[in-house]
Amino acid sequence: MSTATRNPEAAWRRRDRLWGMAFVAPQALGMAVFTLLPFAVAFYLAFTEWNGFGTPQWVGLANFADQIGDPLLRRSILNTLVLALVTVPIGLGLSMVLATMLNSIRRRGLYLLLLFAPVVTSQVAIALIWQQMLRPDGAFSSLIARVLGVVPPDWLANPYTALAAVCLVTIWASVGLNTVIFMAGLQNISPSVLEAAQIDGAGVLTRFLRIVLPMVSPVIFYQSVVAFISSLQTFDLVFVLVKDAGPDNGTRTIVYHIYDEGFQKSDFGVSSAASIILLALTLLITAIQFGAQKRFVHYEE
Amino acid sequence: MVQNNPRPSRRGVTRLGQSPLSRRLVLGGALGGAALGALGLSACSGSSGASSEGQVIWSTWGSPEDLKTFDKVQAAYTDNHPETELVFNPVPSYSEYHSKLLTQLSAGSAPDVFYVGDDHVASLLRNDVLLGLNDQLGEKTAGLSADDFNERLLEIATLDGELYALPNDVNPDTLWYDKQALEDAGITEDPAALAEQDQWTTEAYFEMLAKLQASGVHGAAYYNYWATHYSWITSQGGQVYDGDAFVAHEDPLAAPALQDFADRFVSGEQIVADTLPEGAGVGSLLVTHQLGFLAAGRYMIGSIEDAGVDTALYDIVRWPTPDGAAAPTGVAASYLAVNAQTQAQEAALGFFGEFLNTDGQRLRLEGSGTAVPSIEGADELITESAYPEHAQTMLDMRDLGYANFAVEAAVPDLSGTISVDHMLPLYEGAKDAATTLDEVAALIAEETAQ
Repeated sequence: MSTATRNPEAAWRRRDRLWGMAFVAPQALGMAVFTLLPFAVAFYLAFTEWNGFGTPQWVGLANFADQIGDPLLRRSILNTLVLALVTVPIGLGLSMVLATMLNSIRRRGLYLLLLFAPVVTSQVAIALIWQQMLRPDGAFSSLIARVLGVVPPDWLANPYTALAAVCLVTIWASVGLNTVIFMAGLQNISPSVLEAAQIDGAGVLTRFLRIVLPMVSPVIFYQSVVAFISSLQTFDLVFVLVKDAGPDNGTRTIVYHIYDEGFQKSDFGVSSAASIILLALTLLITAIQFGAQKRFVHYEE
Repeated sequence: MVQNNPRPSRRGVTRLGQSPLSRRLVLGGALGGAALGALGLSACSGSSGASSEGQVIWSTWGSPEDLKTFDKVQAAYTDNHPETELVFNPVPSYSEYHSKLLTQLSAGSAPDVFYVGDDHVASLLRNDVLLGLNDQLGEKTAGLSADDFNERLLEIATLDGELYALPNDVNPDTLWYDKQALEDAGITEDPAALAEQDQWTTEAYFEMLAKLQASGVHGAAYYNYWATHYSWITSQGGQVYDGDAFVAHEDPLAAPALQDFADRFVSGEQIVADTLPEGAGVGSLLVTHQLGFLAAGRYMIGSIEDAGVDTALYDIVRWPTPDGAAAPTGVAASYLAVNAQTQAQEAALGFFGEFLNTDGQRLRLEGSGTAVPSIEGADELITESAYPEHAQTMLDMRDLGYANFAVEAAVPDLSGTISVDHMLPLYEGAKDAATTLDEVAALIAEETAQ
């Protein structure tokens, strides 16, 4: 006890640290086994030639050279970027509009339930349902034919419409979550600020553009980073929705490419190299987003 | 003592949304985790195999209906060997089955006995994961001998003289045809009758396609895989491989024949079965009289019987040829192999033998079986069933036909890449046959050189 009396802070600090480590340990262990270890293995494999059997053969940068010259990887990157650049702005914009509308009505439970349902549905189920809807004789095409009086395309049979269909389903499946998060951001805006602006003569549009948007900009930024990263990782939806990466590889995404090289062609070195390229691309895009943050995101300090 | 602790200072503890620094840190962490997660995909694996002594785990792919055909052979094995526990771990889809199998073999947790598709067996046996069979066949495998099988079907399962797998059963792609659809299109001749007189010519077939299309139905449907492209080339007198060399791009007959074939897809007389929307299969088109011909195996019997249509309306014929005489075409086969690392080798070989021998094939294929026996001595299964009327055609096509070419099958997914990235654009009219064959030749040269 004398030690504790002399230096009481050190004792509780040490104990706290031990408790802290104990609480973090399961998470850290999971992270090490399921994230860091696979990362280290994938990083090593990227410099080897390995078909899943025997000992990997060191090939240096050959896999990266192979991948950089591979038209299929370029096609995958292009498709993935188109997917991200279409779904993130449209998805977030739509969610913002929906959140603003829902925020101004009192009985919104049912709407939120309908919007949020796809978020808690598995991607595989979503893909299977949309696969049937997007058939030439499916519900979606029949609706277009009936309402607009035109013959809709066979969505999943053409490279361009197949990618458009993937974008549509991605937006549909994610809009609920984005809306709920935006609503939380909107509810954090103090009504007094909006009232003050109203008294000063600001109209609805001015209030939205000058007050609401800047004040939820941190949420928009957070959502855009997360949405962009998840777009870059699109796999399960295209894997189930469209066969063999779509007509003419029209819906081949980077992660599909990684899967194809690794698990279809048994070329784990090339597959790992492609995944390192995806990591670099993700870091680059996120760095750009963080750079843009300084200009467009307003933090209330 | 814990209750005496002073409350931790709030220094360093910040709430999300209060400090931009913490937000950036959290975002950075989330980003790092998410990006690393993508990498994990190429390094993950699963397992469910790995047996012990006294237990034989085996696996294959198939729909629930397909898997029922294994009930009898499994029951027979269990009755004969009560000391061995037989465990069946099937996978529904063909492509997922092979992804899983490769991962399990790599991780040392694969089943003891397993199916391998004809597009995977040649690449797999080069990895020392299959048990060599030369010294095992015979007494240990219920009397099974390699001589009981069509030699040309064993080539892709053999490496340096060692045999690693045997065909379970085979499915020559016969042309199933709908007599009613043909009659409705004003076709008076019967394809099988023409074939019996060696008058089943390419010209007659093309004329029928035109009439079928004119009557408002699809002429013919083919699955987009190696046996379709190569069967057409060989049936028209062309050559695909000369030994280990791909020669179709230099063969004077191959490109024009393939172009004629592709033109019929572009015109809509023929359709690619794989490109139909999910749920709208070619099988259902055939049983609803909306399709004249369908290249398919014996498994069509089940589809026709289940559809509740008059089964006598359907028969089979070999592929048409320029002179009307029979020519070799592709035979789809699946193979059975034993895990080189099995802990129960004796029991695994016993099951392997009883599954593949004449009795095993009878138990699996009798009645409305889904395939044709691969072994000599079980042909009466096909001839005695008397359905379809020209069932003998299946046996003739098996005996004359060939399995996928070993050099091509040895590269994982090469046949699949050729079909999806090269042949499909040809059938969709995006390329011509000569260019396609040149590209395929270049791809095969590049892939097999490695």
